[in-house]
Amino acid sequence: MSRSITLGQYLPGNSLVHRLSPRVKIAVLIILLILLFSLQNFIALAVMFALALMLLAASRIPFRYFIKGLRPILFIVLFALIIYVFFTKGGIVLLRIGSFTIESAGLRQGLFVIARLLVLIILSLLVTLTTTPLSLTHGMGYYLKPLNKVGLPTEEIAMVMAIALRFIPTLMEESQRLMRAQVSRGADFETGSIFRRARNLIPLIVPLFISAFRRADDLALAMEARGYRLGAKRTRLHEDKITILDWSALALVIGLLAFALYFKL
Amino acid sequence: MFIQTEKLTHIYMPGTPFAAEALNDINFTLAKGQVVLLIGPSGSGKSTLVQHLNGLLKPTSGRVYFDGRPVGGSKVELLKLRRRIGLVFQMPEEQFFSETVYDEIAFAPRNLGLADRELDLRVDKALARVGLEPDRFRHRHPFHLSSGQKRLIALAAVLSLEPEVLILDEPTAGLDPVGRRRLYALLADLNKKEKITLLIATHHYDEAAALADQVLVLYHGKMVMDGTRSKIFSNREALEKLGLALPPVTEIMHDLADSGLPLNKDIYNFEEARTEINKLKGSGTNES
Repeated sequence: MSRSITLGQYLPGNSLVHRLSPRVKIAVLIILLILLFSLQNFIALAVMFALALMLLAASRIPFRYFIKGLRPILFIVLFALIIYVFFTKGGIVLLRIGSFTIESAGLRQGLFVIARLLVLIILSLLVTLTTTPLSLTHGMGYYLKPLNKVGLPTEEIAMVMAIALRFIPTLMEESQRLMRAQVSRGADFETGSIFRRARNLIPLIVPLFISAFRRADDLALAMEARGYRLGAKRTRLHEDKITILDWSALALVIGLLAFALYFKL
Repeated sequence: MFIQTEKLTHIYMPGTPFAAEALNDINFTLAKGQVVLLIGPSGSGKSTLVQHLNGLLKPTSGRVYFDGRPVGGSKVELLKLRRRIGLVFQMPEEQFFSETVYDEIAFAPRNLGLADRELDLRVDKALARVGLEPDRFRHRHPFHLSSGQKRLIALAAVLSLEPEVLILDEPTAGLDPVGRRRLYALLADLNKKEKITLLIATHHYDEAAALADQVLVLYHGKMVMDGTRSKIFSNREALEKLGLALPPVTEIMHDLADSGLPLNKDIYNFEEARTEINKLKGSGTNES
């Protein structure tokens, strides 16, 4: 259970990727994803893949750790491949199993889609692995700001998101502690039918809700005590400055996108 | 030996950049019927160690033995083990989920598959053991009790398993002085009258020290001291280096004895201290 938490969890570091401003990181990610989905041939995709791996290397995230976190996603990737391979028809028949056939167009399409999926996952994970959830939400809040004009409370939405992210690990830890406490009272969370197992979760869910509500109360009080008011203008302790590094990264990816679109790669 | 650990090491999230060593090469033995105090500053690994003893956490390396057999194995085996070793977590009332005290206490024996009539007996007995009248408390809502009563119900909810060993992690955290005193009086009774082996993990051991036979000192995941209570608490300097203090009564006796008065320093409660100091008065008047 605790292993799956590591998926995309922020890893502190001081690499070039870490130092990019979160706002720029989000923009770069979006541009690279647009680029990724406009690519039509395998060679260009391979270049993208290599680029993603280079970025991963530049982030100095241990490769083995990265792969470990990827494991739960491999299932989805494999599933996508199987669907494409069996259900896309065209080209020459490669293999015949009963009434099912594997045809070359299906294989080609399947490989293309999973390669694209892998690049997408690597790039997205790279962002969450090198950015704290808090600065990530600030970054997103920046892009939401224009919606303020149509009456959306974007500051508050960003705050809600930041708090939710902040408390995920806390609640995870809490649920594990509770689970162990109830297990030492003979509780069983792992066997029985689905219906039974759901019922067995009551001793876990009730205390978890109670503590979550108490935490929310405490947090609201603490925030008010420090002067948090809805709609008030807030300044930030860590200013998000755009440096020359950010500008060069942006210029680079925009250049890449323009290049790819111009030559219809 | 009743409970024993052998080169017990525990690493949290091994193989990730978050890996942290919580316990390092822990060896200790614990005899049946004893009261053992596990002390150490916050974050020294007390809770982690305690959770290995009933198989909740698995050692990264090393072993834990209970009653001559290694801890672990099948689910049935672990359930049997947890019936014999009761573990009371920190702030155990935070685990409450039932609407009546009865259901809360019956949860553990019900998990053992006991029949309803046996459950009734167990709940009544557990309530009586923590000094609460079964008829008054059985049908109350556990969330509506005082914090001291909640703690006692939480203790009863583990005692209903009728364990031979009771492990308590910071049993008095968040209790007022009266609640603390009441809880320790109860624990002393459980040990003396019912011969339940106690392991108390705490960094607030002013009262707990009065019960202890053996003291274990954990520091940064290592067992740095292990011995009888008088041996550990006679070594004031070593404890202070670890950021730990003597229990207040003992500290006063040390101070008095160090200032030259002929006093026994090995004292852990006010009654004994009073007797010891009164002895001094007696001898003093005789001399003059």
